[in-house]
Amino acid sequence: MTLRKTLSLTALTLGLAAPALAEDLTIGLATAQTGGLAPYDQPSLAGFEMRVDEINAAGGIAGKFPIKLIAKDTRSDAAQTALVAQELVDAGVQIMITPCDADPSIAAGMITQGAGIPAFSFCATTPTLPLAVGDFMFGNYPADNVQAAMLAGHAIEAGYKTAYILTSPDSAYTLKLPQYFGQAFAAKGGTVLGEGTFAMGQQDFSAEVTKIAAMDPKPDVIMTAAYEPDFPAFVRQLRGAGVTTQVLGSDGIDSPTTFAMGDLVEGVVFSTAGFATEGSALAAFNAKYKEKTGEEPNTVYIANGYDLGTVIEVAVTKADSLDPAAIRDAIASLENVEGVTGAISYAGTMGMPLRSVSLVRIVGGNRELVTQGVPAPEEVPAP
Amino acid sequence: MQDFRQFGKTAWAGSALLALPLVLVAVLAATVLPASGARLATLFLIYVIAVLGNQIYSGNSGIMSFGHTSFMAIGAYASALLTIAPAAQATALPALPAWLAALAGQPLIVALAAALVVVLVVAAIFGLPIARLGGSAASIATLGLLVITHVTLVASTDFTRGSQTFFGIPRGVPMALVLGCAVAAVVIARLYRSSRGGLALRAAREDEIAASAVGVNVVRLRFWAFVLGALLCGASGALLAHFLGAFSPKDFYFNLTFLMLSMLILGGITTVSGAVGGTAVIVLLVDILRRIEAGGDFGIVTLPPVFGLTDIGIGLVILIVMYRLREGLFGVRELDERLGFEDAVTPTTQPAPVVPPGPGNLKVENVGKTFAGLTALEKVNFVVEPGLVTGLIGPNGAGKSTLINAVCGIVPPSSGRVMIGGQAVAELAVYDVPRAGLGRTFQNIRLFKNLTVLENVRVAANSVARPDEDTAAAARAALAIVGLSDLAARIAATLPYGAQRRLEIARALALRPRFLLLDEPAAGMNPAETDALMEVLRRIRAEHQLGLLVVEHDLKLIMRLCDRIVVLNKGQQIAIGTPDEIRADPVVIEAYIGRKRAAPPPQTPPLGPALPAT
Repeated sequence: MTLRKTLSLTALTLGLAAPALAEDLTIGLATAQTGGLAPYDQPSLAGFEMRVDEINAAGGIAGKFPIKLIAKDTRSDAAQTALVAQELVDAGVQIMITPCDADPSIAAGMITQGAGIPAFSFCATTPTLPLAVGDFMFGNYPADNVQAAMLAGHAIEAGYKTAYILTSPDSAYTLKLPQYFGQAFAAKGGTVLGEGTFAMGQQDFSAEVTKIAAMDPKPDVIMTAAYEPDFPAFVRQLRGAGVTTQVLGSDGIDSPTTFAMGDLVEGVVFSTAGFATEGSALAAFNAKYKEKTGEEPNTVYIANGYDLGTVIEVAVTKADSLDPAAIRDAIASLENVEGVTGAISYAGTMGMPLRSVSLVRIVGGNRELVTQGVPAPEEVPAP
Repeated sequence: MQDFRQFGKTAWAGSALLALPLVLVAVLAATVLPASGARLATLFLIYVIAVLGNQIYSGNSGIMSFGHTSFMAIGAYASALLTIAPAAQATALPALPAWLAALAGQPLIVALAAALVVVLVVAAIFGLPIARLGGSAASIATLGLLVITHVTLVASTDFTRGSQTFFGIPRGVPMALVLGCAVAAVVIARLYRSSRGGLALRAAREDEIAASAVGVNVVRLRFWAFVLGALLCGASGALLAHFLGAFSPKDFYFNLTFLMLSMLILGGITTVSGAVGGTAVIVLLVDILRRIEAGGDFGIVTLPPVFGLTDIGIGLVILIVMYRLREGLFGVRELDERLGFEDAVTPTTQPAPVVPPGPGNLKVENVGKTFAGLTALEKVNFVVEPGLVTGLIGPNGAGKSTLINAVCGIVPPSSGRVMIGGQAVAELAVYDVPRAGLGRTFQNIRLFKNLTVLENVRVAANSVARPDEDTAAAARAALAIVGLSDLAARIAATLPYGAQRRLEIARALALRPRFLLLDEPAAGMNPAETDALMEVLRRIRAEHQLGLLVVEHDLKLIMRLCDRIVVLNKGQQIAIGTPDEIRADPVVIEAYIGRKRAAPPPQTPPLGPALPAT
């Protein structure tokens, strides 16, 4: 054991950070700072670090548990994530944070589950994530089925009776979110007229558009979780065929490209994790972020990462302990934690939080809030 | 089952030499390394297996395969479907067929074995067409395989969860199993490289035409290497899946392919040492750079985190290595071969193998060939008899090459036939012609450049040897005939020109042919080299009673060497006879020799130099 320790502290774990102090809460970040997941993990980390700095400036969580971060890059690779997660567990972290994707999050989560350490995925939206790992795994972003429930609620309220969903089997997000929508929509009395599929990245929707244009009666609303470059291509071809049916989208299209499409996307409604209304907590956060970094927060993942800091703060305060098992129990019992994006609850869920989803309508290239809130748990389709 | 001696001592020594560090890594992981170090060691061993799988096919055949990662994916999914916990299966794969669902919960080793059977079947199905392709066409086909497999996995939602994460399998792989697989992979890859099949495939990689001419069935060898490599990749994929515990098709796609190939190319694609070494270098490099980029206090300096350093670092190292060492870190020779484990090559004094003069002659009967209406060859008739030298001469365009191709079975004649013994050449595959009794050399030397002199000859000796025969002795005897015994361990490409020509003859002799076709054997030789060659040819004829067919421009050589001469002109056989008869033949003088005499002196300067340089 001594030999193990000696070696681990010398050449073999070159560069490993010094052991944490007794009262430090050590959080390990096995997240992707490079590669395909970096666009999500990087802003999440930036927001999270901002919150941690604030907590530490105030003397740590509850004034007695300063937070120490060990951040390692997983390079968006599942095998690397598993390695990094094991290293962080070896280094004695009490909480683990994993990337914005189910594969690496499950791979890392299985290690933390075995070690009895609670883990959060920054922004993976797959609702089955905690099911695949166990009771020490949590999400930190409105799950696909929560977004879908909000969209379905809006569709019913807007008076739509029939819907058409467009899915792609190429990713869990593009496949399952519209299907969850269909389930929630049907549960509320709507009718799903059909499901079309597309191949991600192909950008040829002529077959699908022809099918929709020929439908009689036409659906009242079309729901898809397609995003760039597929969503712009789809809308362009759909409107080009003279189909004016309302389109519902998901948070994947919350990007400048969508807003630059002018009349083509006029009236499109999509779900997103946060909307900064005048005087809201998110608006205050955005102002604070700009003051600190000099840049406008260009994605909601920053605020989402910031909120994870708050969730951890509240959980550790509640546990009043740095024991990972106690922290896990505290997280699982959290209700209505006040985040800048809205209230966040874990109580009564399988591990994916119930948290505020905003529905935004595109009007003249600008965003207009349709509604904001948390769907009732019974309205959320089972994962 | 072929005799194990065929691999040679050096292959066994090399296997042990390369397995040793792997065992050491595993022992360290089990004893002193922390859990994260042990995981890294496990991952390294899993990668080694896959890189070796790529090496067996790509390294020996010279065809870069992008498709072997798909066998990792198939191994991963096939094994995971069997090890998945029944409880998780109900959630993760509700639509699984009942018979397959009932098989869940198997131990990893059982699942691994079953996965290899699946991989074997798939690899055989795809291997058949891909083995028929060479070069970049084959590479592109393997790329297609990768894409097809990926799309199929994504679409097979009931079995794979599609693009969603596959979960519910027991996480963690026993080090003993991983080590066992890795050591087996090293031994398989190293022995294969030195086996008769492996050597022949490497020869085909260097020169496919020459390999066929010494009896190598390239397509069959490519097929087996493809399947063998696929099996190793399948095993690696099954282990990787359980190492990760959760995966989806995208984890076995381009990124993994490029990682595996960069390891292989960095180390050196042609050797097993390169595959193992390249994997070790990349894994270590990633780990060191990763720790540096995370920042921290290194005693002397404190560094801030610089994410992205790892990828940049790996890219730079690959660039530098490729710039300095084009064949990779380990070059074209195995570690054991460099360290002198090489099987001793002693100049042999034993007599050359006695070739029983076979029955019959090489007969060219009424052979003609037309290419889309153009008659290249018409009614050629002659016989090559054992113990005699037959010369074939004719000006450029006379049809000599067409005739050679017909004799070697490369291009069948349009009319007539070529018979060796009682067999029609046109009915044989090109690689079966040597076994029928015909050896040949090429106008432009076609050696297996990156193989040793001895290996060059052994490829030929192997293709006519009995399974239990020591072909090294036969190869050495053939080298002794042409006086190259002392150079047996040299890489063929490093030989001087004359020696390369003689090596080609030795290689052809190792086929124990009854007839030997020499295509311009003296081309490019100086007078001394030509004399030495003449001496060798005379000896071959005298001692081995071979029938020689010599195609040559050097008329002096032809006249001195041949017993009988065939003269072609414009596709017609215009004369046949002894050198004296040919010298006196007025038709030959007019058509061939006389043409030069009768040629008018140039009245205008040649056009060539007057043309503007382009």
